[in-house]
Amino acid sequence: MEKLLKEQDVQYIKELFDRDLVDPVELVLFLESEGSDKVTAANSQYLQHTEEIAKEVSEISDKIKLTVYKDDKEKEKEYGVKEISALFIQGKNSDRNVVFYGIPSGHEFSSLLEDIVNVSQGTTRLSPASKEAARNIKVPVEILVFITPTCPHCPGAVKTAHQLAMENKLIKAAMIEANEFPELSKKYNVYSVPKVVINEKVQFEGALPEDMFLNKVLSAVGESQE
Amino acid sequence: MDEFFTAPVVEKQAAVIPDALWDMTILGAGPGGLTAGIYAGRSGLNVIILEKLSPGGQIAVSEQIDNYPGFPDGISGTELVERMEKQAVRFGTRIVMEEAMRISKEGKLFVVTTTGNKKYRTKTIIISTGADPVKLPVPEEEKFRGKGISYCATCDAAFFRGKDVAIVGGGDTAITDALHLTRFANKVTIVHRRRELRAVKALQEEIFANPKIMFQWDSIPSHVIGDEMVEGLEIENVKTREKKVLKVNGIFAAIGTVPNSKIVRGIVELDERGFIKTNHNRETSVPGIFAVGDVRDTPLRQVITAAGDGAIAEFSAENYIKLMER
Repeated sequence: MEKLLKEQDVQYIKELFDRDLVDPVELVLFLESEGSDKVTAANSQYLQHTEEIAKEVSEISDKIKLTVYKDDKEKEKEYGVKEISALFIQGKNSDRNVVFYGIPSGHEFSSLLEDIVNVSQGTTRLSPASKEAARNIKVPVEILVFITPTCPHCPGAVKTAHQLAMENKLIKAAMIEANEFPELSKKYNVYSVPKVVINEKVQFEGALPEDMFLNKVLSAVGESQE
Repeated sequence: MDEFFTAPVVEKQAAVIPDALWDMTILGAGPGGLTAGIYAGRSGLNVIILEKLSPGGQIAVSEQIDNYPGFPDGISGTELVERMEKQAVRFGTRIVMEEAMRISKEGKLFVVTTTGNKKYRTKTIIISTGADPVKLPVPEEEKFRGKGISYCATCDAAFFRGKDVAIVGGGDTAITDALHLTRFANKVTIVHRRRELRAVKALQEEIFANPKIMFQWDSIPSHVIGDEMVEGLEIENVKTREKKVLKVNGIFAAIGTVPNSKIVRGIVELDERGFIKTNHNRETSVPGIFAVGDVRDTPLRQVITAAGDGAIAEFSAENYIKLMER
């Protein structure tokens, strides 16, 4: 397969990784073969590209390790994989709770790079107040962020959701590439992106600033927390 | 396939020193702000760009730019902006993802306070906060926003595969969006309040030749119909007052922009629609504050005009700094 990353961009990312990566990061990618019920007309064409981009990114720095599980139901269960492909970013402050369902391409490629840096450093760019509020959440939270790769407002929502997850292991945050999962998009009535769904009950469209995003999360956990 | 992978430059730049004194603080990383950033960087100014979401502004949602010189085959909005960012960063300009919330004065200097209560002390400010799409003027807008009403065809067109959609507007943006939508939708109806389009000739030729496009002339939207999701758009003929319902699942609006000038309201002079008044040096009514691109009172809101504004404003700001330090 032809390389997806341009040589110039590889150089760019290398500089970024050389400067910013601290501790090892593991990219854990789940794939399934044609014929599986998780491989559909909508996502099958992207699987190979997703594997390729994960491979190319991991080859840029020896601090990044790529593990690919194919048709491994047991591992899928261990990670709580919902859809295929699933790309988990594993590091100091993430444990099976920061995931990309579908290809992190287009504008979302920046989310992938930023996530890698954040888990490698074990920090996030959230404000101190947001960090504290996220850490104080005591019930499980699931944040789904529906995106399309051509949406420039979407990485803001993905990055915020993923960073909240990095602050608290009870928070699971997933990017969902809407084109690859039309059934899921239909289930949650996604007609505009970014669309965020928190614990199945709080939903909103549009990229909200960090503090307002957090308020939506808090309102979703509010009742269960009391 | 629409994969594209390019390294964002935002993370790859010199660290921002806290409590620094900035020569120039630019609010917004669209073409205007980035051009000012390129010029300021090359002039050796200590310059920072604050961006609330991701760089690009309105331009990043443009599928293809065909009127920016130097790209004979056109270029995607995203790629053009990424190139501008890289160019700015190359000359030492910093870009950070923070939203400016407040501007205050401190002696001869300004202080820009951002989300998270960070403060940037600066000699000059360039406002390049751009403009947002005007909301669809129907009572049901809020109810159906994101449930069939969209302001970003590039983002949301794919959700209307095989469906009928309407687009409201008749300018370049509306027609470009309509063309993009034909790649997904079954039928695209353009609802325009006049008898003819405002869009440039090249786009008009393309749209009139497209078999998926229908027109509703002299018409304005009056109501959105539906239960949970958009099921129809009621339109009114402005001449006959006749009303009818278009059966559509999606409504895209491209009916002009509102300036993001809230941060300078009460500080600099605005026109009656909220656009920042500027002179030919791109100076606002407050010395040291400049405005460029869609947010100012410009007759034409395009990438090229925003970029031109950015260059002029940076030049004026540099002169201002020289006079200030004399």
